[in-house]
Amino acid sequence: MSIGGSALPMPSNDSVQTLYSDHHGWLHAWLRSKLGNAADAADLAQDTFVRLLQRREHLQLNTPRAFLRTVARGLVIDHWRREELHKAYLEALAQVPEAQAPSAETRELLLELLERIARMLDGLKPKVRRAFLLAQCEGLKHQAIADQMGISIRTVERYIADALYHCYLLRYADEC
Amino acid sequence: MTAAQPGATAVKQAIQWMLRLRESGHDPALQQECRQWRTAHYEHEQAWQRVIHLHQDLDLRAIPGAGLALQTLETSQRRLHRRQALKLLGGAAMVGTAAWVGKDLDTVNVWTSDYATGTGERRSFTLPDGSLMQLNTRSAVDLAFNDQQRMVRLKQGELMIACNPQRSLLVETRDALLEGFEGRFVVRQDSDCTQVSVSHGRVAIHRPGQLQWIESGQNWRLDALGTHRLEKVEMDAMAWTEGLIVTRDMRLLDFLAQVSRYRHGYLGCGDDIADLRLSGVFRLEDPEQLLQLLPRTLPVRLRQRTRWWVRVEGLA
Repeated sequence: MSIGGSALPMPSNDSVQTLYSDHHGWLHAWLRSKLGNAADAADLAQDTFVRLLQRREHLQLNTPRAFLRTVARGLVIDHWRREELHKAYLEALAQVPEAQAPSAETRELLLELLERIARMLDGLKPKVRRAFLLAQCEGLKHQAIADQMGISIRTVERYIADALYHCYLLRYADEC
Repeated sequence: MTAAQPGATAVKQAIQWMLRLRESGHDPALQQECRQWRTAHYEHEQAWQRVIHLHQDLDLRAIPGAGLALQTLETSQRRLHRRQALKLLGGAAMVGTAAWVGKDLDTVNVWTSDYATGTGERRSFTLPDGSLMQLNTRSAVDLAFNDQQRMVRLKQGELMIACNPQRSLLVETRDALLEGFEGRFVVRQDSDCTQVSVSHGRVAIHRPGQLQWIESGQNWRLDALGTHRLEKVEMDAMAWTEGLIVTRDMRLLDFLAQVSRYRHGYLGCGDDIADLRLSGVFRLEDPEQLLQLLPRTLPVRLRQRTRWWVRVEGLA
């Protein structure tokens, strides 16, 4: 390593620039058809290109629209997830006596954390996810989870370990 | 150039250890066994650090109001699935942008570091060559040790290194490459500069076209504008390694910025009192308690809306 140099290999701004001018209009229209809302579509189209600028790998430009769609699709899912989380949280909050409700700042922190966790748990089987969350959110012992879910404690252990390994891979995957 | 990744076996073992310990209520005998496993191989320790961090980041119990978390996550997940099924974008399985999850959340990725600390945490590590490294709050480093060189890459936060004298040790920050010889020094990566303080021995600063030596007892600041020695320091650079903040005539605003590094949430003060000066020795182990001391030494009071929101105000 040369002294003072630690630049990440990034896609060049030029290639993203070209991608932007060639396909931004199309992407925006595509997003609008999915979201039914021009403002959100504009935001997500913008985010899509920001993502590309942040990526370390070189862009695969053979099929630019398929590529952009893949990135944008992920963002749409994230957008929906955030909406659903906020909605579900407000509903849950409505059941709590007002005096015990957390402050606005705490809510923000919690929602942010929930979003991270929800994203990481994407793709896990529902039972694996449930076992993991019972341990992680409620602090239940493995036996209690086994009883509640009607499965063996061995299975609970396997589920939780699998879930953690899944999260581990996601988090550390692009280190290699 | 990163140190080798821990293998899948080591990671799975680390997960098993963590779960067994958690389940046993941190049984001392089990802890001892786990320590043995960790020290048996560098890879084990590396896997362990990562798993522990992952686990902490996913731990909701520490946050007030998290009782609603399970319900919120389950309900929203169900609806998200339904929504995806209805409006599905082309029929493929949808997993959002999870694969990139680490990249967009923090400016520096604490999650993917070889060694890291959370907010308010301090930890000591023995590096593979026997040097001692201590990490201050919210810090992250990667190791790149090989036959030619020993390098610690400080990605975020602050570290102290006590060098093993056999060979020099390199510390890379955004601003420079530092070379430490036998001795003890502290390096802090701020958003716009790197600060280096040497308590014993010498450190060389390597920047493009420049070599500068730092002698014992000196403090230096390296930024985009240059490399300069700080004649007067308002805060003892080494004190955190003893769990203290030691200030001499430090501005209140700067002091609060330091304390903020050790706690979550908002901490600020009114403009009218930002320039009040503070000298003293403060214990870091409980930042909330530390803040309670302020009204005893300065004409200020604390306005606390929640544990996460504290503002220091003048006594009007």
